Amino acid sequence: MSSAEPESVAVNREVWTRSNEKWGDAAALAAWQEAEITWGNFRVPESRVRALPELDGLDVVELGCGVAYFSAWLARRGARPTGVDPTPAQLESARRCQRETGIEFPLVEGYGEHVPLPDASFDLVLSEYGASIWADPYRWVPEAARLLRPGGQVVFLCNSTLSLLCMPETGPVKDHFVRPQFGMHRFDWRSDADGIAFGLSHGEWIRLLREHGFEILKLIEVEPPADAVAVEAYDYVPAAWATRWPSEEIWTARKR
Amino acid sequence: MTDSVAANVEQWTQTNAEFTDAAAERAWSRSEITWGVFKIPESVVGALGDVNGLDVVELGCGTAFFSSWLVRRGARPVAVDPTPAQLATARRMQEESGIVFPLVEAPGEAVPLPAASFDLALSDYGASLWADPYAWIPEAARLLRPGGRLVFLTNSQLAHLTLPEEDVTPGSTLQRELFGMWRTKWPTYPGIEYHLSHGEWIRVLREHGFTIEALHELRPGEDAVDPTYYYAHPVEWARRWPAEELWEARLR
Repeated sequence: MSSAEPESVAVNREVWTRSNEKWGDAAALAAWQEAEITWGNFRVPESRVRALPELDGLDVVELGCGVAYFSAWLARRGARPTGVDPTPAQLESARRCQRETGIEFPLVEGYGEHVPLPDASFDLVLSEYGASIWADPYRWVPEAARLLRPGGQVVFLCNSTLSLLCMPETGPVKDHFVRPQFGMHRFDWRSDADGIAFGLSHGEWIRLLREHGFEILKLIEVEPPADAVAVEAYDYVPAAWATRWPSEEIWTARKR
Repeated sequence: MTDSVAANVEQWTQTNAEFTDAAAERAWSRSEITWGVFKIPESVVGALGDVNGLDVVELGCGTAFFSSWLVRRGARPVAVDPTPAQLATARRMQEESGIVFPLVEAPGEAVPLPAASFDLALSDYGASLWADPYAWIPEAARLLRPGGRLVFLTNSQLAHLTLPEEDVTPGSTLQRELFGMWRTKWPTYPGIEYHLSHGEWIRVLREHGFTIEALHELRPGEDAVDPTYYYAHPVEWARRWPAEELWEARLR
């Protein structure tokens, strides 16, 4: 496996450096201090979604942690997270939040396709809109398998396959397909001032996960509550769409 | 008994008179195993594996052509269907071909066969589409031996979400919601279909002891032709988005 940095990592690092300056850094501390674990752009509570295993005592690696609020939530529940992200500016925001909250855990600069951490050293690999969409699944899924102990789980949230089929090059999601599903893999959103993302069909996610030794546990099609409002920075899917079709989905799988 | 059974017996009695009875002879005589309306070869899909020596139950067999293909490859099928007219066609084909296996009149929701007596449960647009999954999936689990496999083909989730109610050429506009998808009564047909989202298929399969082995999103070959009798997406659509999908699962 090549360890050369993919083009998408440099592109996405630049996008996330800008995004962190505009939104992420300012919102980081409030996110760290949220009492509840929530998922995705509609902040659907984990108590409804039920994607995570019992967290107390787990060694967790978060791939594409951004400002690492999810790892902070896990640390408060007794897990031992390590946050990994390729964007120094986001890790800097995370470090500031660590100092301000006193919640400390390792932060590692790295990208999902090539994680500088030892084999078989985690019980949970987590990614919420991190490596799960910004890293190439044909490289980060094998990395997740390598990092996990036998019996460990990978839990990741990504854009739903259906929403990717309906997402135009620019502007909000449509109610019809704008691209074919066969061959789905890499999405270049640079014309919309965004990065290079990845997504697969459900059949291909299942095939790839199983190829790397995972047993499929769940595909959770996240349903926001009727009164949901999207987070301002990520309003490309309005609530009126996301309450009819899942715009986000969470896969959970166990390493055999 | 699920109330869709009577509606679907009516539907398939009508369909058999209009189409499947006349099509049975050609279907039984084909040498190759194929899947779905675009006749995608099993040699391309690779869902069944070696069936030689396997006890197979086909749930919603219709005129039982799929079971006849399996007999010729050394399997011992029992074919189950709720529609007497289709079973009568299957019996006629057995007499004409000399390929004989048990035919049982029953819906997929309640199969009068003993527990743990099959190695493979199969459904090709049978119970997989016309029976309630919350009843037929547990039946498939009951009928299989530990380690036995369930293989079923149905309309894809994307095809179901985009199929218009009126008989117009299907496009790619979403026609109905995904959340809550389960039972569909089309205004122009007596039959009642069942479709689940992918997440819900995985949940119900695992709840009944299955491990998910594959979801094949089928793509017809370049030389495939549009379906003739059934209202479905044309081949041009199905070359861009899967119109049919095939699940493989194994009982733990």
